Amino acid sequence: MGGAAVDQGKGRVRARTIRVAVLYIALTLAAAVVLFPFFWMIVTALKMPGHAFDPEILPRPPTLDNFKKVFTEYGFVRYFMNSGIVAVSSGVFATLFAALAAYAFVFKKFRGRDKIFAVIIASMMVPGLMYVVPQFAIVKKLGWMNTYRAMVVPHLANAFGLFLLRQYMVTIPRSLIDAAKIDGASDFQVFGYIVVPLTLPVIATLFLLTFQFHWSNFLWQLIVANRESLYTVPVGLAMFKQQHEQLYTLKMAASAISIIPISVIFVFAQKYFIEGVTRGAVKG
Amino acid sequence: MRQSVTALLMCLVFCLACGGEKAGEGVTITVWETYNNEERAVFLSLIEEFQAANPGITIDPVNIPFDGLEPKILTALATNTAPDIVRVDVGFLPKLAMRGAVHPLDEYATADVTDELRPVTLASCRIDGHLYGMPDQVNGLCLFYHKELFAEAGLDPEDPPETWEEFVEYAEKITDKDKGIYGFAMRNSLWWSLPFIYSFGGNILTEDNKKCALSEAGAVAGFQFKADLYSRYKVEGGAWRAGGVRDDVGFQSRKYAMVLNGPWAVRGLQAAGIDFGVALIPAGPAGHATNVGGNNLAVLSTSGHTAEAYKFLKHIVSKDAQARWANELGQIPVNIRADAMIDLSKHPYLGIFMEQMKYAVPRPQVGSYPEIENDTNPEMQAALDGKKTVQEAMDAACRKISVILEEEEELKQAMK
Repeated sequence: MGGAAVDQGKGRVRARTIRVAVLYIALTLAAAVVLFPFFWMIVTALKMPGHAFDPEILPRPPTLDNFKKVFTEYGFVRYFMNSGIVAVSSGVFATLFAALAAYAFVFKKFRGRDKIFAVIIASMMVPGLMYVVPQFAIVKKLGWMNTYRAMVVPHLANAFGLFLLRQYMVTIPRSLIDAAKIDGASDFQVFGYIVVPLTLPVIATLFLLTFQFHWSNFLWQLIVANRESLYTVPVGLAMFKQQHEQLYTLKMAASAISIIPISVIFVFAQKYFIEGVTRGAVKG
Repeated sequence: MRQSVTALLMCLVFCLACGGEKAGEGVTITVWETYNNEERAVFLSLIEEFQAANPGITIDPVNIPFDGLEPKILTALATNTAPDIVRVDVGFLPKLAMRGAVHPLDEYATADVTDELRPVTLASCRIDGHLYGMPDQVNGLCLFYHKELFAEAGLDPEDPPETWEEFVEYAEKITDKDKGIYGFAMRNSLWWSLPFIYSFGGNILTEDNKKCALSEAGAVAGFQFKADLYSRYKVEGGAWRAGGVRDDVGFQSRKYAMVLNGPWAVRGLQAAGIDFGVALIPAGPAGHATNVGGNNLAVLSTSGHTAEAYKFLKHIVSKDAQARWANELGQIPVNIRADAMIDLSKHPYLGIFMEQMKYAVPRPQVGSYPEIENDTNPEMQAALDGKKTVQEAMDAACRKISVILEEEEELKQAMK
């Protein structure tokens, strides 16, 4: 009887081992599929110009020329700086405004609050491209063409961010807020000392998503900036696709560098990214 | 609330007030261009030359990614923020012109200027009898061949095929399926098929640009020959198929011995160390022929300084400027008087590219050329795939093209 139980246990262990092995093989394959383009990008970036399509997979001989050229012959030092300015400031301010607005929508009472919220949420249904021409016209009227303001300000009101933060703030027990209010805390104190610390994971998520969006935004930055000194990384990358030829090796070198900030952030803040995805999935 | 609205309005008024042009200063001409780094260096030096000779006119060049130009220019036109001059693909110019976005240069361009221009480039600027720009760059496809693969097949690497019959014969000798080597590789798409269609006497539209001509005998025979290279003679490597090795890629990796390509490919092939030759595209029943690509410089109708803008364009297409452009970049000059000033020893292939341009046929100057191309390509793909006969595919393409032409005609009437 005891022997049978041990056998059974062994069988269970073996079954588990197989299951884990299968899982790992499947995950390894999936990882290989996902990582292959990155591998290809880096390998191509190390090839001599004109050799992007050599039959050999590995560069022979490998060269760092492309990386050098991207910064010396093309203006990528400036483009990275511009992308940094635009993505960080958009991320910070869009998150701050979304948090303040969410606070008002959750903890303040005003006429038509829920209707206004519904209208804002409905605006998410309009495809982003529809905003391009009107926003452009406004930016132009304000005389903001060719400024960082034009690249940042129009995207600071973020309906998705408001939605994300509001849905989280609703779950904060109202008694906490009431207790603070009784102790004489102002709205800004309640916001700063209670709501923000409790909402921090979602705020971080929102910052990361906004940062990522603006780091890779192309069309808007292309049309509001008519100065190369204001071009961002995605606009700079587009320069490598010319009318008749693509400068693949240079493009891959610049792309490889351009994903560094995103990958670093992703490694350190993976769980916030995933939180953003799942939180958006369950609307409630 | 009211305060902030007032503040905003004041801000707006202030911005508008300071946006106006200051009197007494010279004229600034903004140019949106899509040059690559090498071309841009030459362009900037031409600007310096021009500014030195024309005090009071400042040229402000803005480099735009080629792919981003169309959305950018359309947004700019919609919001009145367009530049004075824009460099556009020859296929895109009629579209802008038809919508009234381009200022015709007829009043400025005198015969002494236009007579110097390569006729085919001038044709690409002329739409409905008006001159809508100055040519900036012109090119067309030629036959590129792999000298090593020629030698391995026992062919003389200095003796490329001159007719399509010879071409098939050579390609059959080179093709070695076991080794994965093919005599030829091609792309599908109307533009890339034009040398075949033209050299068999066909065309896209009838001469008056009113009707589709693709279903007529010449065009059908030309495209049939192209399709046969794959399905009948079996000398084409399937480069046009989804998942196939692209023609230029396979040419570089010694898979394909002959491809059609343009002057822009020379630099990359030289950098990759390929031993290649360039020849005229083989002649068909209607003789030699090739297509036309390139760019024009157009003055936009929103520009308040069309005279100054034209003055600059006149400088760019001048004999001396074009000779420099050709010598430094190895590109075909748009000014024929520059031809004699080119140092061909520095650019061994330029002579043949210029020779080929003598046989270039401009595309029909209709605003909906991009739509014609888009609607024809899938039909051509079906014919290459063998899903339709060439005649069936061309008939289908022509039906779509007639609709496109009708719509364009309606739009034109509405614009009047």
